[in-house]
Amino acid sequence: MTKSLDHTIQQVRTTRQLRSKKWTTIVVILCLLLATVFMVTLSMGQSFTPPNQVLQVLLGKNVPSASFTVGHLRLPRAVISMLVGMSFGMAGVAFQIMLRNPLASPDIIGVSSGASAAAVFAIIMLNMNGSSVAFFSIMTGLLVALAVYALSFRHGGVTGTRLILVGIGVSAMIESVIVYLLSQAQSWDRQEAMRWLTGSVNSAQLDQAYPLLLSLCIFGGLLLSRARELDALRMGDDTAQALGIRIGLTRITVMVSAVGLIAVSVAITGPIAFVAFLSGPIAMRLIKNNGSLIVPAGLVGACLVMVGDYIGQFLLPSRYPVGVVTGALGAPYLIYLIIRVNQKGNAL
Amino acid sequence: MTQKHQLIVDSLSAGYGDKTILEDITLNITPGQITSIIGANACGKSTLLRTMSRLLAPSKGQVLLDGKSIHQRSTRQLAQILGLLPQSPTAPEGITVGDLVSRGRYPHQGFLSRWSKADDDAVAKALDTTHTTELLEKDVDELSGGQRQRVWIAMALAQETDILLLDEPTNFLDVAHQIEVLDLLVDLNQSRGTTIVLVLHDLNLAARYSDKLIAMQQGRVFAYGTAHEVITEATVQTVFGLNNQIVSDPISGSPMVLPIGRHKNTTL
Repeated sequence: MTKSLDHTIQQVRTTRQLRSKKWTTIVVILCLLLATVFMVTLSMGQSFTPPNQVLQVLLGKNVPSASFTVGHLRLPRAVISMLVGMSFGMAGVAFQIMLRNPLASPDIIGVSSGASAAAVFAIIMLNMNGSSVAFFSIMTGLLVALAVYALSFRHGGVTGTRLILVGIGVSAMIESVIVYLLSQAQSWDRQEAMRWLTGSVNSAQLDQAYPLLLSLCIFGGLLLSRARELDALRMGDDTAQALGIRIGLTRITVMVSAVGLIAVSVAITGPIAFVAFLSGPIAMRLIKNNGSLIVPAGLVGACLVMVGDYIGQFLLPSRYPVGVVTGALGAPYLIYLIIRVNQKGNAL
Repeated sequence: MTQKHQLIVDSLSAGYGDKTILEDITLNITPGQITSIIGANACGKSTLLRTMSRLLAPSKGQVLLDGKSIHQRSTRQLAQILGLLPQSPTAPEGITVGDLVSRGRYPHQGFLSRWSKADDDAVAKALDTTHTTELLEKDVDELSGGQRQRVWIAMALAQETDILLLDEPTNFLDVAHQIEVLDLLVDLNQSRGTTIVLVLHDLNLAARYSDKLIAMQQGRVFAYGTAHEVITEATVQTVFGLNNQIVSDPISGSPMVLPIGRHKNTTL
């Protein structure tokens, strides 16, 4: 009996270690992929810059012509894309896990468009800039998230489908507000409109990286500190609570940090379509149940935005903002999910 | 188990919204025993269990664990003493048995304290006790109903609590699997001294497997005591509105209810 128990203990330990090894492997691969994508987007554009010159520019050396193309044109785009993608990916998967539904990502239930509308309003109507825009959009994002949650509340609980339908409705309403605000702007231009409706990194500047980094540290860190609790929520509120998870506190922390990540990013690049929505499920396919999805989803999000922007810039007949590309990728998946959710209820 | 924890329900009322379901319930759960809650549908059995496990806040009265209200204790600390298996819990899609059972260790791990030897031991013991070791790497989705129920119980066991509450653990199981689950609970009660409170539908199994029975009727405790005290013709008649005859269970000696309907009665 004790011998067989020892054997079981050994087995339990081995499978656990195997799971964490699988998680680490996938995360390392994703990091390498991200680094590769980063290098490729820096060296290949209208012209080719050899990787060694790219490295020299990154190290701060002055390389004729490369310093301009890499340092001024490509680097800001790449850095902003990466940070924004990471924020969207982490926030998206947090919402999806918390609400136990892949459709519940912030870009589908109106949080992103809410933050976007707030940014447009703050910039165009109130002439605000910088951190006050970000703050305004975080508050609005939170407000929209709470409103969608409250509107979906029935009989002491929120059901996934109801929340999503309410969210899609709210999202549509807010997008019309964005269009209206843009039409009131004095210097109406298409670039700007595209940015606030589908997201674009065309106006990326390197100093925008600081607020993004700060938000990733604060909100991303907060989210990671709740990773275990978030994971427990996947077993339903009752079981999670029985396991000693403080449901209310976890929900609020996750919601605030996810909305924070979204809003700060949206204030800079606009709501890049479907990145938050796609990253989680892709990370899920890769990681399976071998560990937390937050970091992997962030890495997937970063890759998605960088690759999407590269495709939009160089691989299509004319130049498109990144949101158009990710939107085209996300829409078919959205349709697939709606059909699937209809058939078998919700799942991530 | 060196010191047994004491669970007391003190003039408790609870409900959902304005609807009161439980009214003025007072109970003293005997430590180290198996107690089953029985009663007709919608009499408040599950609500009582949910309130006792702090999933539902009482509107009046309180649930005391060692003299302190469970709603005032830290959730995590409470989860180390009192475990709960909800009715039809949800497993995340694609989760393996090993992973699910490991989650029972949540309350014993902190943000910084990593997985320890004690955690591996507890998970292994839980798998061993529930005979689910060979399922370790299987997907929970692939299991049969009986296996799945054993795996959920294993998760609750891995939590290593002195008190375990189970909401209809034999629901949707065939009779062989029902017996298997109940035997398992008795094993647990005998080997670890775990105090077990469960909601059961089958009166005869409840009478056979429990040390104490709580018979509920319309949100109140109608009778509380041993099977011989609670399972009487009068009680079953009142609580379930069922004509019946009580005989002695030839297997266990516990009282056994024979229902009497309008048909198929040859004793008239």
